[in-house]
Amino acid sequence: MSAPLPGSGDTSSFEPSSLDLASGAPEFGAWLGWRRRALATVALLACLLLFAFTRWLAATPFIDAQWSARADGAVLLQGSNLPALQDLQGRRLLALGDGLAAPRPVDALLLHRSPRWQVDNSARAQQLAQQQWLASCLAGGTVELLLEGHPPVRLQAQPRGFAGLGLVIWPLLSLVLLLLLFAAVVVLARPQWRSALFALMALCQAGNLAFIALETLRGLGLPEVAASADLPWRLALDLVTAAAIVQAFWQLSDKLPHARAAIAATWAVVATVLLWALLDSASLPWSVAQGLCLALGVEALVAVQQAHRAEPNPYAIVMRRFAAVGLFTLVMATAAVVVSAHRPEMAYGVAVGASVAWYLFLASLLLLTPFLSRSRQVLREFALLAGISTVAASVDLLFAAVFSTSAFTSLALAVFIALAVYAGARQYLLQHLLGRSLLTTERTFELLYRAARDVQARPHRYPQRQAQLLRELFEPLEIGVADTGTARARVTGGGAALLVPLAAGAADGPLAVQLRFAQRGQRLFTQEDARLAQRVLEQLRRAVAYDEAVERGRHEERQRIAQDLHDDIGARLLTLMYQSPTKEMENYIRHTLQDLKTLTRGLAATEHLLSHAAAEWKADLLQRLKAAEAQLGWSVQFDEDLRLSVVQWSALTRVLRELVTNALYHGHANRIDVVMTLQGGALALSVSDDGQGRDPVTWAHGLGLGGVRKRVKLLGGRVQWVERQPRGIACDVQVPRFSDVGKGRSSTAEQAPR
Amino acid sequence: MAVKVLILEDNPVARSFLCRVVRESFSDTIVITEAGDLESARKQILLTGGSQGLHGTDPFKLILVDLELPDGNGMELLAELRHYPATKIVTTLYSDDDHLFPALQCGADGYLLKEDRFEVLVEELQKIVRGQPPLSPAIARRLLTHFRLGGGNDLHLADSGFTPPAFSTSKPVPIEKQLDHERLTPRETEVLTYLSKGFTIKEIASLMGIKWFTVNDHIKSIYKKLNVSSRAEAAVLASKQGLV
Repeated sequence: MSAPLPGSGDTSSFEPSSLDLASGAPEFGAWLGWRRRALATVALLACLLLFAFTRWLAATPFIDAQWSARADGAVLLQGSNLPALQDLQGRRLLALGDGLAAPRPVDALLLHRSPRWQVDNSARAQQLAQQQWLASCLAGGTVELLLEGHPPVRLQAQPRGFAGLGLVIWPLLSLVLLLLLFAAVVVLARPQWRSALFALMALCQAGNLAFIALETLRGLGLPEVAASADLPWRLALDLVTAAAIVQAFWQLSDKLPHARAAIAATWAVVATVLLWALLDSASLPWSVAQGLCLALGVEALVAVQQAHRAEPNPYAIVMRRFAAVGLFTLVMATAAVVVSAHRPEMAYGVAVGASVAWYLFLASLLLLTPFLSRSRQVLREFALLAGISTVAASVDLLFAAVFSTSAFTSLALAVFIALAVYAGARQYLLQHLLGRSLLTTERTFELLYRAARDVQARPHRYPQRQAQLLRELFEPLEIGVADTGTARARVTGGGAALLVPLAAGAADGPLAVQLRFAQRGQRLFTQEDARLAQRVLEQLRRAVAYDEAVERGRHEERQRIAQDLHDDIGARLLTLMYQSPTKEMENYIRHTLQDLKTLTRGLAATEHLLSHAAAEWKADLLQRLKAAEAQLGWSVQFDEDLRLSVVQWSALTRVLRELVTNALYHGHANRIDVVMTLQGGALALSVSDDGQGRDPVTWAHGLGLGGVRKRVKLLGGRVQWVERQPRGIACDVQVPRFSDVGKGRSSTAEQAPR
Repeated sequence: MAVKVLILEDNPVARSFLCRVVRESFSDTIVITEAGDLESARKQILLTGGSQGLHGTDPFKLILVDLELPDGNGMELLAELRHYPATKIVTTLYSDDDHLFPALQCGADGYLLKEDRFEVLVEELQKIVRGQPPLSPAIARRLLTHFRLGGGNDLHLADSGFTPPAFSTSKPVPIEKQLDHERLTPRETEVLTYLSKGFTIKEIASLMGIKWFTVNDHIKSIYKKLNVSSRAEAAVLASKQGLV
């Protein structure tokens, strides 16, 4: 079993939380202020608490001797620093006394310090009685040891002192401190009920570890309270942790219908059993207590499974794996304790080892959960560390208990086997537990390259392209526009979502793309993902900036050419026109001059709206027809006000002018009708007159008509002239795919390798 | 008394052509002063009482200004002659609004395109002097933008294809009420809109159900407002720069 991620259930709201603010937002300083002081206070208090705890322990009396248990339940003296016991190694301890009353017989149960992990009820009662007797003897100041084949040994109880605490207690207490600080940090970072649940679990586990630290003290003798409080309190800590986990898992998703009922029922059962344990711990069968723990583990697994089914998300997956591994470890520990219960020589060792392994594992999972989205590396190393410790501890236990090998041999073997398991499990962990990364470096590069090329070619598609690229890179379950802005790509919701700024420039506004649940809900976003997204964004921006620079350069160059053409050639043509000897020559030069102006304007301008261009064409034609005393019929209809490219605009302008010129000067028309329609991307232009022109097939294809043909061909259309009845000529221009024409840069981009 | 006309044009052929156009257009006795560059034009104007035209006893009645001149842009002279009591006409090869609109803002009463045929030019010139200035669709569009934005920096925004993103539409609004000369009446806006779509004055008259000369009055009024608003802008600008 494991703990939920603080805030992980906020799958429906993705407001950047205070925790996210900690990742470099400007308000960080203010945000930190009181939290830092509160955290310092908590840390100081915890340290003081632990110091008082160790001081109290150091003051308790004990007998500095090591003991072991034999298969028949006898307690043997292993060794001692006390002069009185120096030569008595290997002798059996028969009874304990305080020097006043009759000594009471003792057996291996005296060494079994954790009633919580004592399977048998009657054995537990004996164990408690023996330990309480020992404690009261020690409290009296004098202890009488009755050893086999030796007169009673009378010893003065001495305080342990800090040296008598042993070495194991210090790492355990450090872990307790770490858990307490973690709980404080999580609650301070996000003061909400979910953090409170996490803190509750962490506190309970800290309590459990403190009990373990107490029970691993060396020598004989513990404070009386340790023996009597062990069962109800450790059971309470276990059950509260389990119930909190179950509640957190039920609340992973808002869409579970029976979640409330399940949570209420769980707490009710837990409260009942706890009440029983506190009121009458002696009569509570171990199987009931441990069975409830296992049942809660199963319920947690079910809850997380349901949550994932209701709302697929990577937390549920990670949590499901944690829960499965945790439950498996608990079942193994329970089995080991049950199997070894009837063999006094190993019962104590297995109970301690199994429970220590289990609690350490749980504590490491608890420490891991707030870091899920911080970095994949941390997650991986923590998972491996926890796994290896569990394996090593259980193997060590197995060898020490079952094969009675020496401590060093069993440790060496355990480390060896753990390393072998690590090597084997590593690949599996990388691929399955942590979400496999489908994208190879090569593929990432290809995607990025293609997107950059595309953005360069079509800058207006930047937002779509960016979204598409992010989708391909991270395969999120959902992608949308977030209403909260961000300056840099960052992970929010503890890894549930990735916010990536949308606009090309940082100042362009608060819009951001939000990706929810990486890899179709299989994986959490990590800081590495945010960094990758930021890099990708910078690449795309660079592509756009490059394109803009190129376009600006082109534009300036075109304008310079246009200016030169206009000023130099234009002025000369004008002079020539004023001096032309004949009317025809004058018209011809005027025509040339107008073409030159169209050309230069096409060069200088970028794009024209069809409606604007049509208005100018009409005004232009009206003026010319008025000068020639002819009528104009004008009709333009379009379903889309197309943004004409320079190619489209100048081709249409010149075709129109040429056709009207022909009708006026060759056909001497009195009326010209222009009908232009743009429907579904297809353009139809018809220019008809009532002039004298006849038999268009026989026309010499001079400069004018050739120009019309050439330009229509450039647009990808066709043109034909027909006679009208009773008189005149009609010219029809059809461009079936006008909308796609002449967008030179775009069309090359479409041919770019995909 | 003879009507004095100043023609500023660097190309001698074009200059003599424009002289012919001017003589053809009016029945009065015409005295034409020709200038080939800004320098000599300024001298001529000084002779008739300076750019304000206040002390001169006999100012020019009509000034034709070419935009592209060897020693500068005709627009400079137009700006200097804002208050000169003459009909000022821009003669140019550039027919696009990018070049013409600033000239109109500088106080030009109209424009002539130099490549037009003789008869067309004569007619256009007569129309301008009679108060029927030309207004191409592109310029009408520019005018609409200009007045919609309160006479502000339309040069940047006019039809550049840039549409501001939807979320930043809360453009600052002035607290002070816009002066009348900075606003168009609904009728004038309607006329401009039709013009920008390529309708002729006659078509607009029938569309709006008014006489064609009423349409023309609207156009004249629009021109005037453009000049006044531009002048006000220039005054504000000048006072900012400490010139006034």
